[in-house]
Amino acid sequence: MKLAADRLLGIVLIGLAAFVAVQAMQLEVPFSYDPVGPRAFPLGLAILLAALASVLIVKPGTNEAWPGRQLGVKLLLVLATLLVYALLFTKLGFIITSLLAVTSLARMFGAPWGKALLTGGLMAVVSYYLFAHALGISLPSGYWIEPLL
Amino acid sequence: MFDFLIHGFDVALSPLNLGLAFLGALLGTLFGALPGIGPINGIAILMPLAYTLGLPAESALILLAAIYTGAEYGGRMSSILLNVPGDAGAVMTTLDGHPLAKKGLAGPALGLSAVSSFVGATIAIIGLTLFAPLLAEVAVMFGPAEFFALMVFAFASMSVMMGKDPVKTAIGAVLGVLIGTVGVDSSTGVLRYTFGLPELYDGIDFVVMIIGLFAISEILLMLEHANRKDGNEGLPPLGRVFVSLKEVMACKWTMGRSGLIGFIIGILPGTGASVAGAVSYTTEKRLSDKNNTFGTGDMRGLAAPEAANNASAAGSFVPMLTLGIPGSGTTAVLLGALMLYNITPGPMMFSERPEVAGGLIASLYIGNLVLLALNLPLAGVFARVLTIPRWVLVPGIAILAFVGVYQLHSNLAAIYLMLIIGVFGYLLRKLGFSLAPVILGYVLGGLMEQNLRRALSISGGDLGILWQSGISLGLWIAAVALLVLPWLLPKLWQARTSKA
Amino acid sequence: MKINKGLSTYAGMLALAGGLLAAGNVQAQSEATECIAPAKPGGGYDLTCRLAANGLEKTGMIDKPMAVSYMPGGIGAVAYNHVNGVRDSDPNLIVAASTGAAVNLALGKFGQYDADDVRWLGALGVDYGAIVVNADAPWQSLDELMEDLKANPGDIAFGAGGTVGSQDWMKAALTAKAADLSPRKLKYVSFEGGGEALAALLGDHIQVFTGDLSELKSQLESGKIRVLAALSEERMGGPYADIPTAAEQGYDVQWPIWRGYYMGPNVSDEAYQKWVERMSQLARSKEFAELREARGLFPMSRFGYEFNDYVLEQVDQFESLAKEVGLKQ
Repeated sequence: MKLAADRLLGIVLIGLAAFVAVQAMQLEVPFSYDPVGPRAFPLGLAILLAALASVLIVKPGTNEAWPGRQLGVKLLLVLATLLVYALLFTKLGFIITSLLAVTSLARMFGAPWGKALLTGGLMAVVSYYLFAHALGISLPSGYWIEPLL
Repeated sequence: MFDFLIHGFDVALSPLNLGLAFLGALLGTLFGALPGIGPINGIAILMPLAYTLGLPAESALILLAAIYTGAEYGGRMSSILLNVPGDAGAVMTTLDGHPLAKKGLAGPALGLSAVSSFVGATIAIIGLTLFAPLLAEVAVMFGPAEFFALMVFAFASMSVMMGKDPVKTAIGAVLGVLIGTVGVDSSTGVLRYTFGLPELYDGIDFVVMIIGLFAISEILLMLEHANRKDGNEGLPPLGRVFVSLKEVMACKWTMGRSGLIGFIIGILPGTGASVAGAVSYTTEKRLSDKNNTFGTGDMRGLAAPEAANNASAAGSFVPMLTLGIPGSGTTAVLLGALMLYNITPGPMMFSERPEVAGGLIASLYIGNLVLLALNLPLAGVFARVLTIPRWVLVPGIAILAFVGVYQLHSNLAAIYLMLIIGVFGYLLRKLGFSLAPVILGYVLGGLMEQNLRRALSISGGDLGILWQSGISLGLWIAAVALLVLPWLLPKLWQARTSKA
Repeated sequence: MKINKGLSTYAGMLALAGGLLAAGNVQAQSEATECIAPAKPGGGYDLTCRLAANGLEKTGMIDKPMAVSYMPGGIGAVAYNHVNGVRDSDPNLIVAASTGAAVNLALGKFGQYDADDVRWLGALGVDYGAIVVNADAPWQSLDELMEDLKANPGDIAFGAGGTVGSQDWMKAALTAKAADLSPRKLKYVSFEGGGEALAALLGDHIQVFTGDLSELKSQLESGKIRVLAALSEERMGGPYADIPTAAEQGYDVQWPIWRGYYMGPNVSDEAYQKWVERMSQLARSKEFAELREARGLFPMSRFGYEFNDYVLEQVDQFESLAKEVGLKQ
């Protein structure tokens, strides 16, 4: 299991190196004042990466333990929450989305409902006032909510 | 000769300016502690405030300088406590700072970093006071060829970090350099690896990179720790709160050396706190890591980058004050602030506006004292962050990450990119990679390529330019020595002892 | 079991969020004005936004402070796409722009959108290009430099803070053209920002720096550089009074760098005219002149349709230059 991960990584990296090299070759350069040009550096890196990746395939190193299925699902849930947070961030405004995101993250990290909601509410409102008013950072306020404030 | 400084202390010690130095130090610490919101943003956001308040020039500058130094202090907090660097200069601080916190020594770690920051900054400010005009002359001697040699030296010095898995360290650095090539090629204007997305034209932003790589992946790792069945909840209870004098004294030479390195690197236009932190850390590891404890929570591994990044912040004032050339993004913003007050920095500033030049330097001395006084006693309070339950801490990190990226980009694409880089960082960490080489490759790789190509366009393709000057030749020799000596010296030693 | 519970919790949240999303799309227009600086904090675009924000606030033309937000990416491309795609009709939003944006539009670097896809509002100030050499350099006038350049183009390295095709490069390219030298034959080194290029000039790593007048003020006083020509229509005053223009010396090179604003393509005529009125009134006020000077900018007042035509014409010119040197097919 351990060995497979690093070998797989090695193969992926060689693929990446090939991709980098092909993309570099396809660059269209109108003209360049320096003799090196924009292609050489990425090409060199691709060769270096491919060489290092080959070493990895021949002589794999150690990895940390991979998460099991249960944990894997949870990790995906956390990522999904962050993604939804991002998707709604400008549409609903900072306060509402942060309330939702904080509450659900707190739940996933083991807080009971009450505490999670309380954390969500407090953190969303306090951080909004801290950032927007005390530090003058412009945050999406969610225009629709403004008349209510 | 130092009339301007005496005059400057007069100015800086007035109640208004002293108050502003305090306020700036506090606000700066706060800005620096928030991941992604570093000194540049702090100053850019507060500059209009200083202007609207109608503060006189020297007061405004004192406020802004205090914010700058405060942010350099604050950047270390999340590095130590959460393993998330607060800004560019604090990346290396995570290497030994966070392991210390994991050992239950968060308080002493914060205290020590405050002391090293103070020592580093003080060395640099003294250097600034005594030698500024002279150093400015040296700084402009660094052309593209010299910068290229410096980058080669920096990469060579990274070899010491190869540690337990040299192949993965090298792969990490190469991946970092590759990430740095995304965006407009700064010489020909050709777009590289942007796939038609305008969001990628300027390359992958540093803030997006560190927040994604460190903060988002940290959230995912925390989830794993929280779900571990073996009852290991990760962090031990908080031990003692204050750093001991003995611990500080054990690091005194580390601080001195690193402060000097940081100052010198800070003076050079275009290299910043991140390079200073990296070079000082690797130098210190090479010089004093006899038992291979760096990276596992060695106090010296924390003191080195902390002294260096604060020293480089002060060092970057040299080209700004003496030549009017901003050496870093932050000093560029400060320069803008000076222009707003109709002050043009340069050698003339010391004679024409002594209250500004002197006041600024004096306020750097005072600001650092204020910061030390503020940060030492508060170390215990800040260390309590670690006792906050995960279900509060994680959403907090998430909010900070989002705000940090959003305020810089006003753009969701940057947030998506941050999440993608976060997953990438998580995978790297699970695969046994260290993140520091990735970041260093990303920072140094671009500088290396650009300066190589600049040098060769100046020489018309003649490679000789790369080692023509004494400075670059010296750096090349040093780089080769770094790579060869650790391998050669033991052999020579052996040969000698066997002969005897 | 635990996971199932987590999942149902999550589904509930998603549903709630979805409902709120639908509500969120019905946005009320807020009164507050906003300026987008299409760059990171602290750059030229930030300065452009602050100029409008501080000016309008100081003269009392807006009652709430104008918010300045940052949207870096592609020297303005991200913001340009944003204004065309998302906030195309916001009557309270202006976006900072400059000659650099016009150059990129000409090169087609703003993606699918062209120069006439937004409503150009006006310019509040202008800076001018300058041809600068080290004080120790052998050239006392632009003529001497040009003669030398014609004879030995390979010995004189030009440097500036921009890539090939950027507005900083254009200054060097136009100078070369004025010496009957193809811009492709020039020796040109691109730096990250004018500051680094200036440092390279002071250290004798490059011989000629094509920069902007406003960033040279402190160097002029210290006497470490010599400005051979200002790329303006006429001589500037103040500390620049001794600098001859290129035209005076017989070379037709001009390079104004205007700092202005545009609005979304679907902004109503009414809202657009209101802003044009506001800006031209601001440009006439005395307080504003002080603010502008403090930022090292020279006066420029072109607003409304006149400015719109000016920008479109400029983009056309840049496009033909780009085609001439082979930057664009």
